[in-house]
Amino acid sequence: MIFDEFFDVIVIGGGHAGCEAASAAARLGANTALLTLNLDLIGQMSCNPAIGGIGKGHLVREIDALGGIMGRVIDRTGIQFRLLNRSRGPAVRAPRAQADRALYRVEMRRTLEGTPNLCLRQGLVTSLLIEDGRVLGVELQDARRMGAKAVVVATGTFLNGRIHTGRQTYEGGRAGEPASIEFAEALKRLGLRIGRLKTGTPPRLDGRTIDWEAFEPQRPDERAVPFSFSTDQIRQQQLNCHLAYTNESVHEAIRANLHESPLYSGKITSIGPRYCPSIEDKVVKFPEKTRHQLFIEPEGYATNEVYLNGFSTSLPAQLQQELVSLIPGFERTQIIRPGYAIEYDFVDPKELSPFLETARLKGLFLAGQINGTTGYEEAACQGLLAGINAALGSLGRPLFRLNRRESYIGVLVDDLITHGVDEPYRMFTSRSEYRLALRHDNADERLEPYGRELGLVGDLEWERFNQRRVRLAKARALLKECKLQRSDERYSICRELTGQELGESLTLAELALRPRMDAEMLMSLMPSRARSEFSIGDLETALADHVCAGYLHSQAAGLRRLNQHDTLNIPHGFSFRTVGSLSHEIVERLERARPESFGQARRIPGMTPAALSNLLVHLTGSQRFSSASQD
Amino acid sequence: MAVQIDTIVALSTPPGRSGIGVIRMSGFDSLKILRTLISVESYNPTPNQLSLKSLIDPYTAETLDEALVCFFKAPRSFTGEDVVEFHCHGSPVLLRTIIDLILKLGARLADPGEFSLRAVTNGRLKLTEAEAIRDVIDAQTDTALRQATRQLKGDISNRLRPAKEDLLETIVRLESSLEFVEEDLPAIQYQKIVDSLRSLERDLSRLRSTFGFGKLLRDGIRVAFVGRPNVGKSSLFNSLLGHGRAIVTRIPGTTRDTLAESIVVNGVPVLLIDTAGLRSSNDEIESIGVERARRAAADADLLIVVVDGSEYQPDEDQLVLAEVSDVRHIVALNKSDLPNFSAATFDRKLGAHQNCSAVVSVSAKSDAGLESLRAAILEPFANGNARTEGLLITNARHHDLLVRSIEAIASSAQLLEDHASEEIVLIGLHNALRYLGEITGETTTEEILGQIFSTFCIGK
Repeated sequence: MIFDEFFDVIVIGGGHAGCEAASAAARLGANTALLTLNLDLIGQMSCNPAIGGIGKGHLVREIDALGGIMGRVIDRTGIQFRLLNRSRGPAVRAPRAQADRALYRVEMRRTLEGTPNLCLRQGLVTSLLIEDGRVLGVELQDARRMGAKAVVVATGTFLNGRIHTGRQTYEGGRAGEPASIEFAEALKRLGLRIGRLKTGTPPRLDGRTIDWEAFEPQRPDERAVPFSFSTDQIRQQQLNCHLAYTNESVHEAIRANLHESPLYSGKITSIGPRYCPSIEDKVVKFPEKTRHQLFIEPEGYATNEVYLNGFSTSLPAQLQQELVSLIPGFERTQIIRPGYAIEYDFVDPKELSPFLETARLKGLFLAGQINGTTGYEEAACQGLLAGINAALGSLGRPLFRLNRRESYIGVLVDDLITHGVDEPYRMFTSRSEYRLALRHDNADERLEPYGRELGLVGDLEWERFNQRRVRLAKARALLKECKLQRSDERYSICRELTGQELGESLTLAELALRPRMDAEMLMSLMPSRARSEFSIGDLETALADHVCAGYLHSQAAGLRRLNQHDTLNIPHGFSFRTVGSLSHEIVERLERARPESFGQARRIPGMTPAALSNLLVHLTGSQRFSSASQD
Repeated sequence: MAVQIDTIVALSTPPGRSGIGVIRMSGFDSLKILRTLISVESYNPTPNQLSLKSLIDPYTAETLDEALVCFFKAPRSFTGEDVVEFHCHGSPVLLRTIIDLILKLGARLADPGEFSLRAVTNGRLKLTEAEAIRDVIDAQTDTALRQATRQLKGDISNRLRPAKEDLLETIVRLESSLEFVEEDLPAIQYQKIVDSLRSLERDLSRLRSTFGFGKLLRDGIRVAFVGRPNVGKSSLFNSLLGHGRAIVTRIPGTTRDTLAESIVVNGVPVLLIDTAGLRSSNDEIESIGVERARRAAADADLLIVVVDGSEYQPDEDQLVLAEVSDVRHIVALNKSDLPNFSAATFDRKLGAHQNCSAVVSVSAKSDAGLESLRAAILEPFANGNARTEGLLITNARHHDLLVRSIEAIASSAQLLEDHASEEIVLIGLHNALRYLGEITGETTTEEILGQIFSTFCIGK
């Protein structure tokens, strides 16, 4: 086959998955091309201008620890940083930031353009070139052919995208951009199982027409916690968001016009994310709520456009304008871009290996929304993993996977490939059974050695990582060494604060386990040299390790029972029908999920204890018998 | 079944002399062994039908027994494999001979529970059903049988469902406050959640506490008679039994060895153990008996201290009562038929110890007070819960899981009271949900999230 150009890795799509994939592949030494419909829209945030949050912020920290780029880009372009769950334990705290949408795009493109081995190409891919069950490259609308050893597909909502506002319906990948129709058909022809999902976005408002006095401001943190372990400090100016609320008159107007909504008129049948419902859904499903909270989020420094988070809708544009005007403070407010709902194709992620490669076609990797996920962070971490493996594969190196114990990325991939998705998949900390161990501030400890080994973590970052390790060790040592004595002047303050008797003397490590003891307080009890040896952030991490250790034990105890058989292999091609006494439904679920281990089978929804007992006995029984016959 | 498995054999009826004895054989070679045993190599039995056959020892050509033979063809058998049952005459020697022969022909002796294990392995039986079946087989009384049957029908899942739902509701509440901190959710009322966890803990504890009684239902209560010689232990033993098993004389120290017999009291199996009277003796045989009596007393769940209520011997009686003072016991004041019997004298002279749950006046001679004695035997075991709870926990695995759940819930409630952060509190609650899930079925993360989204309006 003759190609116009040839690469090791081709990445289709310039969104959050595509950018990470292309950057990682190129930096691993693979000659890489990023193909996108519009080079000006690389790194575009299609929906809300924000990165992070609980679960999602954890993912960004993990991406950064592995050597991904999302954390650095948002650190340079974030306009409001907040650490969520500050009042709770360290495991569930997570950073979130509003982004300047335009600056984020610019910074992302600049980052990619500065990456050696990476070529940016504009074009619309129409089909995959295939030979002997292997992908050979892609064909473009303009008849160009590009060859590659591996292809990463990260097309987001563009596959057969269909946009709805009111009764209007048209093809589109995003507002103002064309859908990818031919390529969707090409994927179907491969025999991949395709499903359909829905998501939505709210209207954008003209900030000059808002009565800002009517809304309560939501301020940024005073000490911004960055996403990247390589960012020391956030220097750019920080902005406020504002809180708004809907009211009964808005709800009444929505109820009166439900027939105008494609969600309720039956036009849209595919499933949207339950945790990101449209305002129509909120009003219908929670009729007892007299108001719903909205966030007015700035889109950037250099624009008046604001994003009305929480008001996702597919009602007709004119009606959206009327609804918004019913909120006090928005009486004069004009909508710049109406909200809309979009339906798109996704590929059943059960088609994928833990490396995000399709089982059907060697060299074809899928990442991001095409796998049924939602969210920039979920997309980016898949892009990173797919890009890493596309490069490793093309370079003849062994592929890379992450497991549930060590990362949210591992949880996400395992969930996707074992359960598939019924609705757009978003990360929550409760999805991990190892929540206490997977903290945002120890993502480097968990994953940076992998990033280094792969070759994504440079010398400078690696040095920084090792320095932090040394600082953490010093902090840990000081916690054990330093004692609080009854004679110390701060003793009585501590006793009052904890509300407990503290005895003659105790180490700071012991004191740290008492109620209401935080890093600031403990730092003040340490000798003055401590401040020059490590930061408050370092001490927080050392404390978190220390405080969590006891609970990790009880977390493990419950899981050990549950997981004791998880490593039991289910042989390739195992016939679940031979287990007998499993209902048809259970057999079907198992056959669809194709679990490779008992652990994966256990996590399939709808498994009953009886079914699992039977499967377990069958597996242990047959493995016992087979090992006996070998003796 | 593709895997060729060895053939196992065992006596399926209880050991000992009986009308008939059933030998069961399961596995790949069952039919072959059957053919050899009846000396008909071409025998093709109709499955599931009994037929009368002569069992012949192929080595001696001697006919061993005329037996009813039944063949169950795989997979339509209890174990899912080829199964043969031999219904033989119930002589222990004969049964032993036939089993030995089958072993010689290539089978091996089944491990305890191996038939059920194979049934589970081959998908003929669910694990929980297997556990319940074991209990049905082992059921010694009607009440125990009723319990086992109830578990077979899944009553324990139904009983636990509301508790599990309560637990899930609390988890959902705490999870959503963690995951959706930016949402406009109703504030968490910590005290309310603590209260609800405490009440959950009490509820599960109530169920758990039936285990002692549930287990006794299955295994029976061991009750030993103790007392100084000639107070009428053996007479009372015989009275409760309803027939004269122990030899009764006027001569003190007649009972030299311990005797044991089963009776059923209100549906509970009770093993009565008669012992030699406790006294120091120069008679060697009697001394051994006394030693055995002490040992039997040590193994018993309950002692009945028999005291002659017509003729107190304060010193000796005191000695016996002192010996049992740290064991659960009841005092039977015997010989209430005699004119000089006085219960009040016991109270005045000897009194009851702390571990004494009842003092009952009886007469082994007239059977007066026997009903009270029977009730007094069950009293310490049948706590109030066991009576009000329809369902009793008889399975050690269920008991263990309940204990773990209760501990986990209690520690979470304590953490919540100490203002620990939600994710810490949730560890114990998730563990508890997993433990209960091992009885009733696992709750997946998706179900928890689903509950969150249907309860609260989430949607930034």
